[in-house]
Amino acid sequence: MRVRYPAALTFCAAAVLSAFADQTATLDHIQKLELAGDSAGAREAFQRALKTSPEDAELLGGYAALLERYRNPGAREEYRRAAVRWQATGQSQKAQAEARRAILLDLIDGDRDAARKDLAAYREYGGTGVTIPAPAAAAERPSEVVYIPGPMRSFARMAAISPDADPATVLPALARNVVTNGYQASRSNDELEETEYLKLVHRYVSQAWELDQLAGPDKVIKVPACESTQTNDLLRVLGYRMRGGCGSEVVLETVNASRAFLTTDSGFPLAELEQALRTDKPFSYDYHPTAVPVLYSAAYWVGAKEKNSFLDAFLGDPALCRFYLGMSKLDPETAAAMKQHTPALKLRSYASVLDFFGGNFEIRDGKAVIPGGERSAAMWGELVGVSPDKGADFFEKLLIRDDGWLASLYDALSRIQGPVQDYLTQPAHMKRFYEAVRGKITTPGPARPVFRSNADMMLLTTRLRLEPDGKPHIPGGLDVWKQVFIHNPHNRYDQKLSKAAPGWKDGDDVIEALFALCRKPVDNEPLKMFMALSDIDRNREKPLEPATVERLTSVWNTYSAQYTMFNDAPGVSDKTILAWLDAAENLDRIKDNLLRQDAIGEMQGLTGLWQIFCRQGSIPAANADQALASLVAPFATLKSNRELFDAGRSGLNLLATSAGAASGPMQDRMLNLIAGGAHLQPSDARSSLIEQEQRIFEAQKLLTPDLIFELADNLERVSKGEKLNAKLAARMAARVTDIQLPRNSMSGTEKNSMAFGFWVDKHIEEERKVNFRALIDKAGKDPEKLKDIRGLLAPSLRDTIVGYNYLHYAPPGAEILITNPLFVRGHDFIGMSGANHSWRNTELYGSGWPSNAGGRLVGSLAGLPYALAEAEQNFLVPTQTQALIWGDLVPQMLLTATAPRFWSVAPEQVHWVGMHMRNGESLLAEASVDEAARSKVFAAINRAASPYRASAVISDLKTGDVKQALDQLTPSELYSISISLAPTDDCPIAKEIDRYRKAAPSLVSDEAISRTWGTPKPTLANSYAPELLNLRTFPTLMGYSSRIMAESWESNQLYWADLADETGVRPEELNVLVPQWTEKVVERIFASHLEDWPALLKSLRSVGDDVRNSAGKPDSTERAGSEE
Amino acid sequence: MRGMRRISLQFCLRALGGTALVLSLGAGIWLYAQEASTPVFKSKVDLVVLSFTVTDNKGKYVNGLKPGDFKVYEDGIPEKLSTFSEGDRPAMQILEDGSMRPLLPTAPEAMRVAAKSSESNDAFVGTNVFILFDTSNFMYRGFVYAEDAIADFVRGLDKADSVAVYTFSRNLSRASTLTSDRSNAIVGLRKAVAGDDTALYNGLLLTLRDAAKVPGRKVVIVFSNGPDNASMVAPDDVRAVAEDEGIPIYVISTNDVNKDPISSSVFRRISQRTGGKAYWAKTWQKQVEAFESIREDLGNSYTVTYYPAPNPNEGFRRIDIQIVSDTGKHYRVRSRPGYRPRAF
Repeated sequence: MRVRYPAALTFCAAAVLSAFADQTATLDHIQKLELAGDSAGAREAFQRALKTSPEDAELLGGYAALLERYRNPGAREEYRRAAVRWQATGQSQKAQAEARRAILLDLIDGDRDAARKDLAAYREYGGTGVTIPAPAAAAERPSEVVYIPGPMRSFARMAAISPDADPATVLPALARNVVTNGYQASRSNDELEETEYLKLVHRYVSQAWELDQLAGPDKVIKVPACESTQTNDLLRVLGYRMRGGCGSEVVLETVNASRAFLTTDSGFPLAELEQALRTDKPFSYDYHPTAVPVLYSAAYWVGAKEKNSFLDAFLGDPALCRFYLGMSKLDPETAAAMKQHTPALKLRSYASVLDFFGGNFEIRDGKAVIPGGERSAAMWGELVGVSPDKGADFFEKLLIRDDGWLASLYDALSRIQGPVQDYLTQPAHMKRFYEAVRGKITTPGPARPVFRSNADMMLLTTRLRLEPDGKPHIPGGLDVWKQVFIHNPHNRYDQKLSKAAPGWKDGDDVIEALFALCRKPVDNEPLKMFMALSDIDRNREKPLEPATVERLTSVWNTYSAQYTMFNDAPGVSDKTILAWLDAAENLDRIKDNLLRQDAIGEMQGLTGLWQIFCRQGSIPAANADQALASLVAPFATLKSNRELFDAGRSGLNLLATSAGAASGPMQDRMLNLIAGGAHLQPSDARSSLIEQEQRIFEAQKLLTPDLIFELADNLERVSKGEKLNAKLAARMAARVTDIQLPRNSMSGTEKNSMAFGFWVDKHIEEERKVNFRALIDKAGKDPEKLKDIRGLLAPSLRDTIVGYNYLHYAPPGAEILITNPLFVRGHDFIGMSGANHSWRNTELYGSGWPSNAGGRLVGSLAGLPYALAEAEQNFLVPTQTQALIWGDLVPQMLLTATAPRFWSVAPEQVHWVGMHMRNGESLLAEASVDEAARSKVFAAINRAASPYRASAVISDLKTGDVKQALDQLTPSELYSISISLAPTDDCPIAKEIDRYRKAAPSLVSDEAISRTWGTPKPTLANSYAPELLNLRTFPTLMGYSSRIMAESWESNQLYWADLADETGVRPEELNVLVPQWTEKVVERIFASHLEDWPALLKSLRSVGDDVRNSAGKPDSTERAGSEE
Repeated sequence: MRGMRRISLQFCLRALGGTALVLSLGAGIWLYAQEASTPVFKSKVDLVVLSFTVTDNKGKYVNGLKPGDFKVYEDGIPEKLSTFSEGDRPAMQILEDGSMRPLLPTAPEAMRVAAKSSESNDAFVGTNVFILFDTSNFMYRGFVYAEDAIADFVRGLDKADSVAVYTFSRNLSRASTLTSDRSNAIVGLRKAVAGDDTALYNGLLLTLRDAAKVPGRKVVIVFSNGPDNASMVAPDDVRAVAEDEGIPIYVISTNDVNKDPISSSVFRRISQRTGGKAYWAKTWQKQVEAFESIREDLGNSYTVTYYPAPNPNEGFRRIDIQIVSDTGKHYRVRSRPGYRPRAF
C-alpha cells in the first residue's frame, strides 16, 4: 500500500528508518550468533526476521548466504527469492549478484538444468559475462575399450582391484599390481617367474572365457532346470558337482579344487545356483564382458596383431605394464606431445623413470614447464642437453639422461614452491646439487627398485629451511657440520665428503654434501640429523647453540628418537636439553638392569606426559622449560630404587602443578590432564574420554598413584615406629598378584618358542613377589632400611606413569589394551640382549603367536602413538571383503585422530575451514562460468595438484562439470586453493572470511589454523604437534613405504572441521567423534594399491555423507513452510 | 558342552498398574515379576549362565536330568538356580518350591531375537553359533573343501539355532551376521576371499566380542589349520574373554595333531578351558564328522542360570557342578572351570 499524505509519509519514513535500524540490529545479532558458533541460532533468527518481513531482499540474501556457508541445499532457492525481490525493487545489479550465486551453487551441486534456468533469470536481470560451458562432447572422451570376460566385480576380486574403481583406472591399477606383485625372482635362475597372484589372475581369465562361451551370444549364463545339460556344463567349468539328485536335498560339492577355488574366490553366485537347483527354478547370471577404457588404443601398446588379445599380452608383460602405468600418469597434453615425438619402444625402455618421475612432467604449448621458471631454463637446458622450449624432446632426454637422477631431481623440485624452490633452482645451485646427487657412476638409478629410492632427496627439498637472507639454515652453524663429516663415525659417510669438509665455506657446501648422500642406498644419518635439528630450530625464537647441536649430533645414534620432545616445546632452553642428555646418560650407566629399565621407563613416561601437556597447552609455554628441567634433575644423579620412587612422585606432582591441576586425588588430576586439560568443562565428550581411560587403566590392573603414595607414606611412618597399614598393603598385593605371567598355562613347546623379554618377565615377577610385612620384619628397626622399602614401589609407579602415556594415545577400540593385561607392564625398555633399545623408537615386537608373546612394545616411548595404532590396526573390520588396508597408512591415520585434541578449538576456527571450503568451491564454479576469473584459479589448481589431476580438474571446469572437478580435489587442495587466492569483492563468502579475519585475527591466522587443523608428522617434521604444511601428497617411498605419504595427507582434519561446521558439531565433541569417524574411514577404504589415496578420499566422503544423513540437514523449507 | 556367560542385569521395578519389570543392559532373561507390588527400587545383579554336558562312563550323553539333580558351587558357595533348559528346548524358570514354568515370552530380549528371526522367538531357545573360518594363506589348499564342510554344517543345524559366518585372515570379515536363515549364511560363506596373513586370535577375540553382545546361548566354532603369524593378542587372553563371557570355543583344525604342536596345545587349552572341544580333521570326511560331533554336543547340553551368592572374591571364581544322585557319581560333567567377575 502506498501512502500519499505528508503525515503518512513522515510516519512511513520513520517506519522505514525504524525498520532499517531493526534490520541492521537483526543482522548484527545474527552475525554475533554465527561468530559464537551458533549457526542454528543464526538460522532461526533469520527465519524469525523473515516471518516478519518475508519480502525483505536484504534479509533474503543474507539468509541465502548463511545457508550457503553451511552447505545447506536450500541456499539456491533463497538466492533466487532474493534476486526476484531485488529486481522487484528495481535493484537489478543486486538481483544479478544473487542470481549469479544461484548459478554457481547449481553447478557445484551438478545441477546443470537449474543452472541454465538461473542463467536465464540472471540475463533477464541484465547480467552478462557468465556462460555455462557446453558439456564434453562424446568424441573428446576415450573411445577405445578392451574387454575383460565376466563381471567387473569378479575380475576385481581376483586382480585385487577395488570393484568400485572408476573404469578408466582399472588398467593402470592392474598394471601396478602386475609390476609390484606379479613377478618374483626365480629360485633356479635369474629369470622372473609369476607369483601365485598372477597365476590365479591368468587362470581366472581362462575360466571366465569358458563361462563367456557358455553364456552364448546373449552373454547370460542360463540353467533352465536342475536336470539339464546346461547344469552339467556349468558345474564342470565351475569345478563342482551335485550331491544327491535334483530336489531339495541337492548340495553342491567340490570336484575340481582348482576350478572350484576360482569360482568361489571370484565371487561366482554359487549359493544362488545351489538354491535354484534345490528348488528346480531357472538360474540366470548376467555374464556380459566388462569394457574398460584403454589409453590411446590397444594397438599402441601391443601392436595391431595382438590387439585382440590385449589382456593376455598385458598380464604377461611386466615391462608393458610399467610403460602403461607411466604413461597413465601424464596429463593428456604432455602425453600427446611425448607420444608424437618419441616412439613407443623408446619410451618403453625408460618406463621405470617415467613411472616414478613422469607424473610431474608438463608440456604446455609445446614447451616444458620447469621448476624455477625462466631463470632456470638455461641450466635445465644445459643439464638435460635440450632446451625446455622443445618440450617433448626435453623430456625424452630427461628420461634417458642418467638412469633417472636428473628426472628425480626434476620431480622433487616440481613438488615444492616458494623460496626453497627459488634457492634450489638457482642455476649454480642446481648444477652443484645435481652433480652431487648423480655422482660419477649413475647405475643403479633411483628408478631401479619397485619403490622410489630418492626418498631422502624429496625430504631434503621439502623440509629445507632458509634464513631471511635466502641462505640455507644450518643448525649450529657450518663448523658443527664440518666436524660431523670429518669425524665420519665408523666410515658411514662418503670418504670424499670427509676429505672435502675442512674446506667448506658456507651452508651451500653442507647442502651439497647432503644431496650427495641422498644417492646412497644406506641410512642417510647426516640428512636425518640435519632435518631433525632444523625442525627443532624451526619454531624456536633463538636457534640451538652450536655446542648443543654438537652434543646432539655426537649422541645421535643413541638418543635421536627422543628429539621430537624438544620440537614439541620450542621454549626449551639449551641448558635443559643438555641437562636431559646428562640425565639420560646417567641412567645408561646404571648397572642393575631392573633399576635401569625402570628408571628409563619412568623418565620417559614423565617427559612423555610433559610433552603431551605442553602440546595441548596445559603447561603454558612460559613454564615448559622450567618444568622439564625440574622433571629430569633427579634422574641426573639417580642411583637407587628409593630415589627413583621419589623422582616419580615429585615428577607427577610437578607435572600436575605445572599443568594447573594443583589439588585433588592424583589419579583424577592425571586422567583429566590426559583427556585434555585440568579444567575441562563437564561434557559428554569429557566423560566419555575419561571413562575410556578408566576402562583401560582397570584392564591393565595399574595402581593409582594415590594408593602407591599412601602406602609409601605409611612405610615412611613405619620407619618412625608406626605400624604397617596391612589393609593398604593387602589391597596393593591383591591387585598385583592377580596378574598372570604369560608362561603359566603354556605347553613346553610354546614356552620355548615365545619371546617374552627376560627383563620384562623379571619386572613383573618382582612386582608380584613384594611382601611388605616380610620386608619390614627383615629390616628390623633400621630406619634407613625401612625407608628403602618404599623403593620397591618404584616399578609399580613406573607402570602407572608409562600407562598414562598409553592411555592418552589409546587408539579407537583399544582392543589390545582392554584384552592384554600385561601390555603396559610388558613394555620392554631394554630389548633383546645385546641390543640396547632403551632410547630407540618404539617398535611393535613381532606378530603372531607365540613369537610376539601376546604383543608388546619394545624400545622407548618416542614412537608410542604410532606403535599403538600399528598394533591396533588389525582389529579394524573392513566393511568389504578383500579390502586393502595399508600397513603404514592406517597407523598414521589413527594417530592423527587420537594425538590432537580439540578442547581449545574456537567455533570461529571450525567455521573458518568451512567457509574456505565453500569459497574454494565457489572459486572453481566462477572459473567455470567466467573466463575472466579463470587464469588465477587455474594457476592455483596447478600449484595444488599434480599436472595430471590439475589438467583433469581444469578440463572439467571448462565443460561446466564443476561437481566432477570438485570430486577430484582433496579437501586440503581445495582449502589451499581458497587460501592462496585473494578474496573477491562480490563473493559473500569471501566477505565473510574477511569479517572473521578482522574479528578474530589471532584465531584464524595461518599459524593458528595450522596448529588446530594440522596433522602430526613425526617422520616428516619430527614432531607430534599438529601442523599444516600444504604439501602435495607424497608417493610411497623406499624405506618409508606409505608412512610419509600418510603424513603428507592433510585432508582428514580439514574435512572433519568442514563436516563439523556443516552439521553443527561442537569442537569439544570432535575429541570423541574424530577417532570414531576415522575408524569408519579406515574400515571403508577399498583401495587397489598402496598409492590409492582416491580410495581414501572416497571413504572419507562416504563417512561424511553418513554423518550428514544422521545429523539431518537443516531444512530451509522451514521458513518457506511458515510463510505459507 | 556349552559354556556359561555372566550377564549384568539391571532391574527397575515400577509399581505401574501392578505389573512392571524393566530389564536393561545388553543381554538377559525376562523373569516373571515376583515382587510386582513392591515400591520402586533399583539394583544391579550379575546373572551367570552356565552350560555343560553330562556323559556316563562310556562317554554317552546323559539326558533327562532335572534341576534338582544338580548342585552348582562357586568357590564352594552353593548357588540357587534361576532357570534351566536342556538341549534346544525352551528355558524354564525355577520357582521357590523347585517347580518350573516357562519364561515370559514378551521379554524385550526375547522380542529382539524374534525381530531378527521369524523362526526363533525366544532368546534362550536354540544356540547362536558363530563360525570363524580361516581364509588366510595357510588355508589356501583346503579352502574349497572347508567351505563345503561348513556349508553342510550350517544346513544341518537345529531349526532353533542361529548362525553367523565370519572369516579372517589379517583382519576379520563379517561374511554373514547372525541369522536363522541358512541360505543367507551360506551366501556369506561362499563370498569368502582367500589370502593374506593369519591373525587367528585377533579374529577370535572380535568374534567373542560380537557373540557376547547377543542374548542367549552361543558358541564359537573355529575352523583353521592352526598357525598364527599376525595376531597381537595371546590365545590365553582371548580364552579368558571366552571364559568370562561363558562362550565355549570349539576348534576344528585341518592339520595333523602332531604337525604343529604349538597350535595343537593352544587349541586343546582354549577349548577345554571354555567348555568346548578341539578336533583334528585333515580330510573333508573328518571335518564333517567333527561338525557332526559339535552338533551333537549342542543338542545334548544343559543350561542353567543363577545370581551368584555373595562372594568377596573379585578374581577368578571356580565353578563346580555336582550331580546329586548316586548314579551321578559315575557321570562326567564338562563345563568351563570358572570366570572372573566383570571389573567395569
